Amino acid sequence: MDSDQVEQRPARDWKATDVICVDQPELTTAERLYLPQVFGGLATTFRHMFKKRVREQTVVQYPEQKREMRKEIYRGVHRLNRDEQGRVACVACFMCETACPAHCIHIEGALSPWEDREKYPIKFDIDELRCIYCGMCEEACPVDAIELTPEYHLVGSTRDEMIYDREKLLMVYDRTKEDKPRKGPAVTGY
Amino acid sequence: MATIIIDGQSIDCTDNVTVLQAALEAGWDVPHYCYHPGLSVVASCRLCLMELKLPHPKTKEMGWAPRLFPSCQTPVKDGLEVRFDSEKITENRRHCMEYYLLNHPLDCPVCDQAGECYLQDYSRKFGDSSSRMVEVKNKNPKKDIGSKTLLYQDRCVMCSRCVRFCDEVAGTSELCIVDRGSKSEIDIFPGIPLENELQGNVVDICPVGSLLDKDFLMDQRVWSLKRAKSVCPGCSAGCTIHVDHNAGQVWRLKPRFNPGVNDWWMCDEGRFGWKHVHDPKRLNRLMVRRGAETESPDWSVLPELARFRFERAASDAGTDKIGALLSPFMSCEEAWLLVRFIRGVAPESVLAMGPVPTDGEDRTFPKGSNGSTPKFTIRAEKCPNRRGIEMVLKGAGGRVISFDAFVKLAADGALAAAWIAGGYPNDWVTKPLGSAAVKVGDLFAQDMFENAVTEAAAVVVPSCSWAERSGCFVNHQGRVQPFESAIAPLDGCQRDGQFLYALAEETGLYDAAGVRAKMAATMPAFGELHVAPEEPRFAH
Repeated sequence: MDSDQVEQRPARDWKATDVICVDQPELTTAERLYLPQVFGGLATTFRHMFKKRVREQTVVQYPEQKREMRKEIYRGVHRLNRDEQGRVACVACFMCETACPAHCIHIEGALSPWEDREKYPIKFDIDELRCIYCGMCEEACPVDAIELTPEYHLVGSTRDEMIYDREKLLMVYDRTKEDKPRKGPAVTGY
Repeated sequence: MATIIIDGQSIDCTDNVTVLQAALEAGWDVPHYCYHPGLSVVASCRLCLMELKLPHPKTKEMGWAPRLFPSCQTPVKDGLEVRFDSEKITENRRHCMEYYLLNHPLDCPVCDQAGECYLQDYSRKFGDSSSRMVEVKNKNPKKDIGSKTLLYQDRCVMCSRCVRFCDEVAGTSELCIVDRGSKSEIDIFPGIPLENELQGNVVDICPVGSLLDKDFLMDQRVWSLKRAKSVCPGCSAGCTIHVDHNAGQVWRLKPRFNPGVNDWWMCDEGRFGWKHVHDPKRLNRLMVRRGAETESPDWSVLPELARFRFERAASDAGTDKIGALLSPFMSCEEAWLLVRFIRGVAPESVLAMGPVPTDGEDRTFPKGSNGSTPKFTIRAEKCPNRRGIEMVLKGAGGRVISFDAFVKLAADGALAAAWIAGGYPNDWVTKPLGSAAVKVGDLFAQDMFENAVTEAAAVVVPSCSWAERSGCFVNHQGRVQPFESAIAPLDGCQRDGQFLYALAEETGLYDAAGVRAKMAATMPAFGELHVAPEEPRFAH
């Protein structure tokens, strides 16, 4: 049908035959008792309980046991990478802050004290509580400085503790660089 | 009036404009770097080239000429036919952009211009997505060319706008082009830094990120800034500006095109003169002094309190013992509301305007051009609204006296209650006023900073800076120019218009346009606003 015709279609007149009435089905006595359904459900539960292979695959005794995960793609706590000289690799371009849909990144840039670099962050805060772990920041970063790590046990007793600053994010890098090495070298030196 | 044909469409344009101007005004996006309407034409960037229909030298038949013509240098002529949509033009733009980007460091992530950069815009629209350059790029370190400006030479496109600005508008000629060809670069003369009073403009007219403002350097990315249309409060010139702000903070001021007032420019004094907005010493609570004690009541009590105190003074001492001192930093609407309150309580009350700060003489640019019409003037009168306050006082009629007479009246103890409005960015209270303020019975001081008057006042009403207020200023030419509020008022403050609105027994939210409409009933000058025209969309 043409789009113009759709727009010009008059309001529809409903006829009695357009309405289909569906009656509630009559329940049998067994169904009204609900017990057969309850036992049916329990049977499934017990069947899985005694299947050793399934149990070992699905149940993880956290924190004694930890699940194997794909470290390259897991999106956990952020980290700020260091460059070859151990300085923060971030160039404070604000791309992650711009890309962040949750507005959880707050950066303050400044002229860098180093000859070979133009700009660096004097403040880099991520509100881990506000973050939705979508990984947009990682994709937006032109120098691969911000990355999400496989670390997922993110704990804190206050809200302030969950706002990770620059030093804390660099510490996450030091802790996780063995586990997940930094991606290839930065695209360009800024 | 001339009619020209661009890409087959006939365009009506005024005489004495160039084809580029006509095309931009008609909505064509013609790329250009070197052309700026406020500067002379050099036709050096070669981006605005067009094809022109000319008669064949032999057959005299009209046809597209083989060479390309710079549209910024070709004046319009009735019947002229040009085109920008041919393959030749597209190719020319593509090749030009490739050359511009040969040595460009592509450091957009750390460049402050990114987001408002015409290298970005034009390479996206007219350029290629990749570079064929295989050689090592020339590196050129940044140069510190003045106290307020940095030059990143490797981002430069050699449009020479900044050089022409210093020559033609500032008249100080600090910048020059040194060396030739691919080695040419912008520089200053040894030992003579860029220190003219209009140097901020070279950053504005730089179409790329080559000239950057040290004050704004690496503070914010431009796409996160929001713009408010405002008027500079620095002097009586009334330059229209944009206040660029984000997260409740002003980050920079930029001039807004306003022919006949400031054209495309503004001075550095105004440009960097907003720092008082975020001064930590600003007053931020309503204070009521009772003997030695100071209370900070809620704002809702102010209208009642003020009305009670002024009415008490009027009935005890007489309605001629009431006064108000208006400030030339107030907007016309605020002044009018205050006058309405004071005159409503005491029709005989005395009105005056506070001191008008001046600084030497008017400074005209270009420097050293005696006699000719200046291209830009920094006014000696360092307040935005002397004329507006005078208009309001004239409209109010009754007893209007000079500032000195007001101070004398106060010093003689002839004021039982007074409202003194300040709002100056600096300490404005003269010694006589300071000592006279103590003798006023019930003193209401409306000000931004602590001074002798707020010390002596019974009630201190914190005032907002112009960036937080809205209203209109009347500049030295008598143009009524509106400005809008950019940021929310400081915590604990209320917009001046808002509490004065409540004082004048209006209910609801202060609305500058509504107040102006009421003012226009008695003062028709406020019915006609001067609103600066917009520049064409693709002009810069």
